Amino acid sequence: MNKEEAVEKARNDLAQRLKVDPADIKESVEDADFPDMALGAGESGEMSGQMITRGWRIRLSAGGQSHEYRADKNQVRLFKYKGKNYRI
Amino acid sequence: MNRNNFVIHLALAIVLILVAAFAGQLAKWRKQWKSHISIVPAEQKKRGASTTEEIALAETRGFGRPEVLVKFKSGVSRETIDELMSRMNDRVEDRIENAPGWEAIDDLDNADAAATVAQYSSMPEVEYAEENYEISLSQTIEVRTAVTTYQPLRFPKDPLFGEQWALANSGQRGGKEGADINATNAWAITTGSEEVVVAVLDSGVDYNHDDLKPNMWTRPKSMDAYEDEDLGPVDDEYGFNAILNESDPMDENGHGTHCAGIIGAEGENNIGIAGVNWKVRIMPLKFMNAGGYGTTKDAIEAINYVIERKKAGVNVRVISASWGSTQRSRALEAIIRKAYENDILFVAAAGNASTNNDRRPHFPSSYNVPNVVSVAALDRNDQLAAFSNFGVKSVAIAAPGVDILSTWLGNAYEEKSGTSMATPVVSGVAALVLSEHPRMSVDELRKKLLASTDPIVALKGKTETGGRINAAKALE
Repeated sequence: MNKEEAVEKARNDLAQRLKVDPADIKESVEDADFPDMALGAGESGEMSGQMITRGWRIRLSAGGQSHEYRADKNQVRLFKYKGKNYRI
Repeated sequence: MNRNNFVIHLALAIVLILVAAFAGQLAKWRKQWKSHISIVPAEQKKRGASTTEEIALAETRGFGRPEVLVKFKSGVSRETIDELMSRMNDRVEDRIENAPGWEAIDDLDNADAAATVAQYSSMPEVEYAEENYEISLSQTIEVRTAVTTYQPLRFPKDPLFGEQWALANSGQRGGKEGADINATNAWAITTGSEEVVVAVLDSGVDYNHDDLKPNMWTRPKSMDAYEDEDLGPVDDEYGFNAILNESDPMDENGHGTHCAGIIGAEGENNIGIAGVNWKVRIMPLKFMNAGGYGTTKDAIEAINYVIERKKAGVNVRVISASWGSTQRSRALEAIIRKAYENDILFVAAAGNASTNNDRRPHFPSSYNVPNVVSVAALDRNDQLAAFSNFGVKSVAIAAPGVDILSTWLGNAYEEKSGTSMATPVVSGVAALVLSEHPRMSVDELRKKLLASTDPIVALKGKTETGGRINAAKALE
C-alpha cells in the first residue's frame, strides 16, 4: 500500500463512520515515525513489535471535527476515535 | 689543617654525600612507588581507551558505590525495608552477607549523604545509619590513562562488522568510542555454542537468510513432532507458527529476522554481520503477522510451545520478546511464570513511548516475574534513546537500540531502532553466558546479567542497574 492508497482507505472509512460524502473530507498528510509496529494505535489485546516504524500521519476533517489516521505500507489505523483505536 | 681536623672534615663530607645520595634515592623510590600504586579504573582497564572525563563525572555523582550503609533493627521485614526504600526513592545496592542486617543503599535522588543518613537515623526501624565513605590512598593516587587490556580482543571477518557500533563502537558516524557491549573482549572467551537455543518470539524468522541459516534450530530427528492437546500434531521441523497453528515460522515482516540476526547472525563467515553469538541455535516462533502485530493469545500459544519443547529435551533457555503493549494480561503473565518454573529467561522490550514504566507499565516487560528482564535502549553516544521507556523499579538494564544493523528479509540488511533491537542484544549476551555456564539457573543468569553492566550517567535513576550490558563482564 502506498501513501495515496492509505489516504483513500482512511477517507472512505471516515466517510462511512460519519455518513458523509468522501469529497467533503479535507486532508493533510505528513511523514511520521511511530513508536511501534501498531503505529502507536494498538487495539485491545494486540501486541506489537517495539520498533520505530516509518509511516504517514493522515489528518482528516469533516463536520468541524478532525480525526487522525496512521498508516504504513502494511496497515491503516484510526487513532483514538471516541477513545478507541481501530485497525481498518 | 692538622691530621685530626682533616679526618673529621673527610668524615663529615662522606656523611653529607651519603645523606644526599640517600635523599635522592628516597625521592626516586617515592616516585616509583607512586607510579606502582596508580589506579586504573575498571572502565579503562577493559577498554584500552581514555574515558577519564566520564569516570570523573560518574565518581562525582556517586556512581558505582552506595551512599549510605544502614542497619535495620532485627525483626524488620524485607517488605518493610522495600517499602521504606520505595518511599525514599532509594534502592538497596547490596546486602552485606558477613554483616547481618546491614544494607548498602543508593540514593536515587542523589541527595546529600549526610542528610540521607539523618533521615534513616530518625526512622524507628533503623538501628544505625552511616555514610559509605570512600577509602582511598589520598594524594598519592594517580589515575592513569595509559591502559592495558585484560583480555585480547577478537574481531570477526564479517564485512559489515564495522557498522555494528553496538558490538564495537570505535566512534564511527559520530558515536562515542567504547559505548558498546564490549563484544570483542567477550569473544576472546566464547563466541557462543550450538548447544544453546534462543527462542525468538516474534514475526517469525527468515530461516533461509544466508547469515542465519547455519544457526537456525531444527527439531532433532530423534524428537517427536509437537502435539498440542487442542491443536493436534504440528510438524515443527523449523519452529512454530502460532497464528496458523502450523509448522512454518517464515517471517513476512522483517522484524523477527532483524532480532534473530542481532542474537546470532553467523560470525566469521565473510558474510554481512556478526551476531552477539557467532554460533547459537535460534528457534523461530511466529505470532506477529506481516504488519508486525499479533494477539496475546497467539503469544501465549507460542510460549507454551517453548515450554513443551524444553520439557521434551530442547535446551531452550531464553525467550527474546521484542514486543508489547500497555494492556495487562494475567494469562500472559501466568505462562511467563510457567516459563520461569521451567528455567527459561524472558527478555522483554521496555517499550518505545518515552514513558516511565514505574507509573505506566508496559507488558510483558513490567510483569513482576523473576525471569523477566526488561530492556531499555541506548544510542551510540550512551544516551537513553529519546523513544525508550525507562523505570528505576521496572526496567532492569539498557543495551544499544538505535540504528542497529541486522539481517532483513531476502538476504538483506537494514538499520532499525527500538527497544525491540536492544532486547535481543541482552538475549544474545544471556546465550553467551549459557555457552560458558550451561548449568546456570535462570535466577543465577538474571542476576549475572544485571551485575554485568557499565554505569552510564544518562541511566542514573532511569533503570534498576543504571548501566549498559557488558558482555565481557558477564563472562567473568
